Amino acid sequence: MSDNIKNNSNTISADHKMNEESQEVSFSFVLASSVHDMKNSLGMLINTLADVMSKYPPQNQEHAKSYSVLEYEAARINSELVQLLSLYRLDHDNVRVHIDEVIVVDILSEQIARNFQLLQSRNIELMLECDEDLIGYFDSDLVGGVVNNIIVNCARYSKQKLKISAQKTIEGLCISIEDDGPGYPDDMLNASTFAESRTNFAGGRPHLGLLFANKVSQMHKDKSHQGFIRLSNHSDLGGGSFKLFLP
Amino acid sequence: MAENPYAKLQALVVDDFESFRITLSKMLQNFGVGMVDSAASSNEAMRYCSAKVYDIILCDQNLGKGKTGQQILEVLRHQPNLNSDSLFVLVSAESNKNIIMAAYDYEPDAYLTKPITGQTLGQRLERLFKQRLALAPIYNAIKEKAFETAVSLCETEITSGSRYTSPCQKILGKLLLQLGELEKAEDLYRQILEVRQLDWAMLGMAQVKKLQGDSLSAQQWLEEIIQFNPLCLKAYDLLADIMAERGDSQGQQKVLQQATEISPLSILRQQQLGDVALKNNELMLSANSFRKAVKLGENSCHDDVVFHEKFSRSAIEFSKTDKNAATQALRDALKIAAEIPNRFGKTNKNKINSYLLESQLHAVSGEDRRSAEALLNAQKLMDADDVANDLDLKIEFVKALRETGNTDKANKIVSELLSEYADNEEDLQKIDCLLEEPCSTKNKAFVAQINKDGIAYYDAKDFSRAIDCFTSALQSLPQHIGMRLNLVQALLGQFKKEPGNRQLITNMQFLIDYIRKIIPDDHVQFRRFRQLEDVLRGIASEKPVN
Repeated sequence: MSDNIKNNSNTISADHKMNEESQEVSFSFVLASSVHDMKNSLGMLINTLADVMSKYPPQNQEHAKSYSVLEYEAARINSELVQLLSLYRLDHDNVRVHIDEVIVVDILSEQIARNFQLLQSRNIELMLECDEDLIGYFDSDLVGGVVNNIIVNCARYSKQKLKISAQKTIEGLCISIEDDGPGYPDDMLNASTFAESRTNFAGGRPHLGLLFANKVSQMHKDKSHQGFIRLSNHSDLGGGSFKLFLP
Repeated sequence: MAENPYAKLQALVVDDFESFRITLSKMLQNFGVGMVDSAASSNEAMRYCSAKVYDIILCDQNLGKGKTGQQILEVLRHQPNLNSDSLFVLVSAESNKNIIMAAYDYEPDAYLTKPITGQTLGQRLERLFKQRLALAPIYNAIKEKAFETAVSLCETEITSGSRYTSPCQKILGKLLLQLGELEKAEDLYRQILEVRQLDWAMLGMAQVKKLQGDSLSAQQWLEEIIQFNPLCLKAYDLLADIMAERGDSQGQQKVLQQATEISPLSILRQQQLGDVALKNNELMLSANSFRKAVKLGENSCHDDVVFHEKFSRSAIEFSKTDKNAATQALRDALKIAAEIPNRFGKTNKNKINSYLLESQLHAVSGEDRRSAEALLNAQKLMDADDVANDLDLKIEFVKALRETGNTDKANKIVSELLSEYADNEEDLQKIDCLLEEPCSTKNKAFVAQINKDGIAYYDAKDFSRAIDCFTSALQSLPQHIGMRLNLVQALLGQFKKEPGNRQLITNMQFLIDYIRKIIPDDHVQFRRFRQLEDVLRGIASEKPVN
């Protein structure tokens, strides 16, 4: 299942010979390969879980809660693995952002569909506000990964509502994801205001999601503009607001 | 109640994991897809596809043994068959589709990342069928070769600002290029590029420039794409074509090398790289590329016996320049040559071909007995069959005779060939590879020109260019003694410039050894050969300069 990583092993082993830090290179390669395998297993796990849930619908509150924890944790692992792989690729292979013209609503619906079951079992009502014809220029895999991660995160913290919207603004295309949860904690809000948003490892939780979102946003640039993210607690729904701006 | 739009659809699911197959099939059935087949391997998938028309094929990329999902797509799209128009959805756990797409020339209609949920699949199918329906008039017009109609349909769709603007622009650009409407194509791409630097539009622009004869601008566009997206292999391909058109085979080789490093799985590029490296006398590279091409051929519709033969050819040449380094290549080439009849059909032609190659491979490995045996086997078959009239086989036969030391017999056949094919320029060009002086009009002119160029470079003391000239000419006329001596002399010139470069001495020694084997004592250039041999002996015995 890991044929792609194997295919790239030529480049990697070439690095290996030349690189003084060969230990590190080969370790990260092993890491990436096993992440890839984990992702496959997880795919099986998620599909089997969906099967089980449709065969044996929850009998009571407790069941329902257990199912939804299983779903959330699986979705979270998946989105983290996708991020890890993407970050690895961006650092190690010839992978650059691949900008294409895309229909924004398609990309957003795809990520919503991916998490449909999760949101439903948590009774979260989802609103999508996006012009059917809105066009964007970005790497749909990378941006899709960012959106997925934020949705999964919101599924954990929202109470009842989640709103995903996209529109053109003077700062570029803006994709926003807002919820009615408790909002982002201060350390995250502060981190996001720094241009070079380093994650706060000292605070216990490395906000890998933010690091990834930030990296992806910055990789989208045209002649004079660069993408960025903006985190706040000024949401229409009363909770946190995540905005991704792309030139 | 609305009628189920999917009821009449036929679908095929291909995955080597049973649980994925079952899950996907169940999802499709839940959407109301009328008929779902499933296949566990690429072979099984190919069997289904040759028996039945599917509306949609959902195929995993990694199927364990045999073809990958992309290779199945390649077969379905490469030539007309029952499923050349089916919607093809490639499924993989890889979240970056560009990595998988890079190696191949055919794009699937959609790409889905695992894990797939019912919702994701349902949504994607709906979108795909909608798009197919919307663009059907355009595809139909193209299928009926009504290109003008297709162009105007695309234009209408684009001006209406439909959500299919982008796919229509891509189709329109290709149509315009195909119709030779270069100005219109240029306008289209320019408009797109004014908004955004999209690589497919830059690629289109490069194609326009190339067709307009402005290869320099085309090159600039392509280099920009590569800088911006190193995975865009179509850019390398086009760049390699441009280099080839310019006759810059060194440049062509370099570009193809970059492309094959990024995407080692592309058979067409490995084949091309093998060819151009052989031309440039980069024999190790050539042998390695042909070996990879042959290996990839197992699962590709682009496999051809020609490349199996070329692998032997390059391994033989390689062993003549560096016997030790070529050991593995010779061993592999023998195996491949022996398998030709099994792989491509047990016809007499294939059997003979296989024996003749084996005979030469054994000869250069010093296995004289085996070599003679293989040659004998070939001869028996040739005597018994009228395929012996096949010119390609006869040429190969002469080569085998020469490798095994049967020079007189080889020369006799060559002179027979010359009288037999005297009136056929194309055949004479083929025979030239056996001759010292070419007999075809084309190759005569070629030798005259390249010798003139090479000598001009030599006189101007531009030895490295002179070396390139003579080297590439020798690839098509390996028996040309004068040219080989010219090459020795050019190398000698270069050595005087770089007295520390021992590689040059090794190269000269191989050339002299080669000439010693083929030059008759009464040859007009025999004296010159002896002189150069002496000079080289003198240099080789000197202590290396530090």
